[in-house]
Amino acid sequence: MEWALAVAAVLAVVAVAFVARPFLRDPSPASDRLDELSPEARQRLALAEERDRALAALKELEFDHRTGKVSDDDYRAQLGPLRRRAAEALRALESREQTPHERIPAPGEHAGR
Amino acid sequence: MAALGRAALLLAFGLVAYALVAGSYAAWRRRRRLALSAQNALLAAFPATLVAALVLIVALARRDFTFAYVAEHTSRKLPLQYALSAFWGGQEGSLLLWLLVLTGYAGLAVWLNRRSRELMAWTVPIFGLIAVFFSFMLCFVSSPFHQQPPPVDGAGMVPSLQNPYMLAHPPMLYLGYVGLSVPFAFGMGALLSGRTDERWIVATRRWTLAAWTFLGVGQLLGAHWAYTEIGWGGYYAWDPVENAAFMPWLVATAFLHSVMIQEKRGMLKVWNMVLVALAFNLSVFGTFLTRSGVLDSIHSFSKSSIGAWFLGFLAFMVVLSVALIYWRLRPPKDGGPPLLRSKTKLESLVSREATFLYNNLLLVALALTILWGVLYPIVSQVLHGQTRSLSKPYYDFFLHTFGLPLLLLMGLGPLVAWRRASLRSLGKTFLVPFGAALVTGGVLLGLGFGSAWPGLLAYTFSAFVAASIVLEFVRGRAAAGGIFRLVSRNRRRYGGYLVHAAIVLFAIGVAGSSAYQTIREDAHLRPGQTMEAAGYTFTYTGLTGVKGPNYTGFRTIVSVSGHGEHFTLRPGQNNDPLQGASFVASIYHDPRTLGDVFTRAQPAVGSKTAIDLQVFVKPLINLIWAAGFLFVFGALVAMWPDAVEQRRLAARYAAGAAPAGI
Amino acid sequence: MIALSVAAALAIFVVYTAIAGAGVAQLTPSTVRTAKGHVSLVGAVVGPVGHTSTGLRFSVKDIGDRNPTRVLVVYSGTVPDLFKTGRHIVVDGTMRHGVFAATPGSLTTKCPSKYQGSSSKA
Repeated sequence: MEWALAVAAVLAVVAVAFVARPFLRDPSPASDRLDELSPEARQRLALAEERDRALAALKELEFDHRTGKVSDDDYRAQLGPLRRRAAEALRALESREQTPHERIPAPGEHAGR
Repeated sequence: MAALGRAALLLAFGLVAYALVAGSYAAWRRRRRLALSAQNALLAAFPATLVAALVLIVALARRDFTFAYVAEHTSRKLPLQYALSAFWGGQEGSLLLWLLVLTGYAGLAVWLNRRSRELMAWTVPIFGLIAVFFSFMLCFVSSPFHQQPPPVDGAGMVPSLQNPYMLAHPPMLYLGYVGLSVPFAFGMGALLSGRTDERWIVATRRWTLAAWTFLGVGQLLGAHWAYTEIGWGGYYAWDPVENAAFMPWLVATAFLHSVMIQEKRGMLKVWNMVLVALAFNLSVFGTFLTRSGVLDSIHSFSKSSIGAWFLGFLAFMVVLSVALIYWRLRPPKDGGPPLLRSKTKLESLVSREATFLYNNLLLVALALTILWGVLYPIVSQVLHGQTRSLSKPYYDFFLHTFGLPLLLLMGLGPLVAWRRASLRSLGKTFLVPFGAALVTGGVLLGLGFGSAWPGLLAYTFSAFVAASIVLEFVRGRAAAGGIFRLVSRNRRRYGGYLVHAAIVLFAIGVAGSSAYQTIREDAHLRPGQTMEAAGYTFTYTGLTGVKGPNYTGFRTIVSVSGHGEHFTLRPGQNNDPLQGASFVASIYHDPRTLGDVFTRAQPAVGSKTAIDLQVFVKPLINLIWAAGFLFVFGALVAMWPDAVEQRRLAARYAAGAAPAGI
Repeated sequence: MIALSVAAALAIFVVYTAIAGAGVAQLTPSTVRTAKGHVSLVGAVVGPVGHTSTGLRFSVKDIGDRNPTRVLVVYSGTVPDLFKTGRHIVVDGTMRHGVFAATPGSLTTKCPSKYQGSSSKA
């Protein structure tokens, strides 16, 4: 029975060590901040998703047209707006990438880079 | 040894409790190292649980009757594989299986997504919360490691459980049930971290698909088990335990479809959160139903003490889900639109989005009517002081009302374009499938299938759907230049079509074997006498005795001829002195109808040689099992990793998630 | 639009329950004596089980042993799996002159110790 307790003890020690590892490896880090997406980054992400959606929709319209699901008229009618949406999304994303963005300051830190 | 098991479970409990508490604090206060520590705790919970599981497995294999659990569920003579299957045969063991699969899935999911620290920050504590419940139960309420002075032999396993199905059916179901906790944890995590993007959906897409597939296969295995081994003549009895798995599966099906809409159009964010929470909670409810016996004996939870605990956990999770969704539906304090509101609206009631929406509504409606049927005995007891129950007619009505339109929608959806479909282009694409349906319906009507209108509708709709699926493949192949290229470039879509094809096969099989089956239950036959059913003549020629390791019994000899075929069936019974008599059905698989001739026999009262013969002729029933294989194949195609898409998604989230500065 | 469909679904549901009635009462031996009409009887089989020219005669008592009431059941038709004294059963029928006249073929056994909780139907 002793071996069983020994195994249990070893397990517990290893587990605790693993759990404590982030603190043991990095006892005094420069920043302990769990970064979250700044509103800027979230906006960019939303735009990226919008762009991907527009591009995918274009691809799908193309495919649906080729397989005959969308008539020529419908295709022409939808192509323009979809292309415009995709272009808008791409433009919006590019302009975002050029503006500087900030980290969210942690409580106690002062703002700015 | 049991001490090791208990210690391992206590360790697991401590780890997941830490993951919950420390993880929540770290996410709230944005502490990086603490979050990582909580994540590690969750990861470590799996090996700890695994040790406990191994202790139980070894005890079962050795028939160590000092373990009360082992003594209760195995015996010396029980073959090894069934002794091992007793792991999930009892309450404590199945809780341990839940925890094992949960920590395994959680660990893997968290590990794969470890770089998305923000997403994991709140997902880890949610996993921890679920695991805390199960590990708490295992440590303090329902432990598999109770010791006792060992009896001479164990109580053994009920004979009807000793078959290969016992090895496959419960684990499959658990892999499914528990799998639904992954999208739930990610979804609630996304709500807590205030993210509105689809990262959580993208991360859990394959998890949901896998869990849904396991749940589906598990149910098919159970149905096949009921049909062949238990042999009462059917495969689904609308039993609460069967419904327990069906409901989350239906909701998960709805969820699989509606996330596609969120991905393509950014709509239905709230609905998806509601669905994922509903699927998970139904999954917990299903486990609770199967374990607590609450519906067999509604007056007391004493039969299984964990009933009250489960109910409490379920209530807590429901309240938590509702609260989180409600919270994110409100406008945030610092202004701006509510997180869960989407900007896009449904543009047209005739669009693919709309058909997905109808499909969702029908699926959820069916799930809820089944839920009502399951809860009805309890509700009626509370309201009327009298237990009333709903049975097959109730369920059949709603299966037809909601299921048949669903079948039709499977064919309509792919034919309709996104956003808006003009009626003219609809007309063109509809022509062939509609024609196929019309022709099928007309022919069948002429052949007399109008006798059962749900069956006729099912067949007609199936023809419609089958034609539309075939068209998709034909047209797509022409556009992509080859079937392989087509499928490999559009795995989700064409994998989905294959799954739809499986459902069509399934629907045809169900319709044939229920709406068009022939039942003869009243044949009292002396040796030499015959009976007729569905064009077959059954001649009862005699009895033989059989003997097995723990039973005696008899088999009848019934010669059957008809439709140019001749075969012999031997239905009978096995009599176990401890358990009683059980039927051994004899089934002939008829290649002519892809169906079965299913027979049962029992000794007639008052005669040593006469029997009461029951015959079910079930056309097309084997399509149901064939559908299972196609279902798995289609799901695998849909799940198959796509390197191009993975790269694109990784790029999207890496760019968006990288914090600036520093 | 969602609201409309929900209303439609609810309407179908309400219409159905209004027409088809509200389920079948599930009664125990201690409560079934005064029951009228078609009901389900739930209980444990009390031995001995007698065979008649048409089927079975057996008594049923409340599951859980607290009530001494016994109800006699007369049944014809297929006998389900694992039927024996002590087994929990459900059978449909009506009370007639103090005896429960069972609907042929409606007898099912339940195995409470069985993990699956599923029933074997006749």
